[in-house]
Amino acid sequence: MKLVWVMLAIVGSGLMITAVGRLVRSVRPQPEMGGLPTTPLERLGWIGLAITGLVGLGLAALVLLVGVNDLQDGPMSRGISILMLAGLSAWLIAWTVTKRRSGGPVLDERDRAILARSLSVESMIVLLSLVAWTVVLTEVYWDEGVAPVGYFQLIFWSTFVGGAFGRSLGIVMGYRREISVDA
Amino acid sequence: MPRARIANRIRQLRFEHGEITQQELADQVGCTRQTIIVLEKERYVPSLSLAFLIARVFGLAIEDVFEFVDDE
Repeated sequence: MKLVWVMLAIVGSGLMITAVGRLVRSVRPQPEMGGLPTTPLERLGWIGLAITGLVGLGLAALVLLVGVNDLQDGPMSRGISILMLAGLSAWLIAWTVTKRRSGGPVLDERDRAILARSLSVESMIVLLSLVAWTVVLTEVYWDEGVAPVGYFQLIFWSTFVGGAFGRSLGIVMGYRREISVDA
Repeated sequence: MPRARIANRIRQLRFEHGEITQQELADQVGCTRQTIIVLEKERYVPSLSLAFLIARVFGLAIEDVFEFVDDE
């Protein structure tokens, strides 16, 4: 059984390193795609990265400071609610301001193509997040046979925030790649 | 399907038609200025409808603005 986990870890690490390497290369602007004026969607992508990054860090800090035993009730539950409301409000304000300032169309056909492609990055991050949760919870609670039910909330919120982070990352990456509407 | 690129004369045509700015052209066809810039750099292949709209701004047929170039 242990050998299976070791092999899974090696394969998983290889995949993760490859995926992260590709992400880093994609985020680096191509010389011919650099220095362009930003579009409203691109600005929203950067704002989304900042907001989801901060909310993600807040979530991690909450888990480290408060622990996982209070997930269903108490300060953890309140903390998660405040974080999510703050993140959502910040994003809504950013979206409204960006839309008002843009004057013209917020999304044109290239933006829509980039937005559609960003779904693949979101899906990859959601999948990686679920794999990480499965491996960690299995390893930690293997002997006990059951994991605290509160973890389900944490899995949901972390996957939600991770998905939003992935979507924003996909948008930012999309503006650094060549794209066509028939791609 | 063989790899090909879509070349265009948008930049040249902008100057030949009263030096239309990228922003003005973008406003007329309903896209962002960044899309016009990447189109001129041939880093983006537009939809057929956007290609038609751009050609219409210059009063030309689509094939007078865009050209299919075989890379092989």
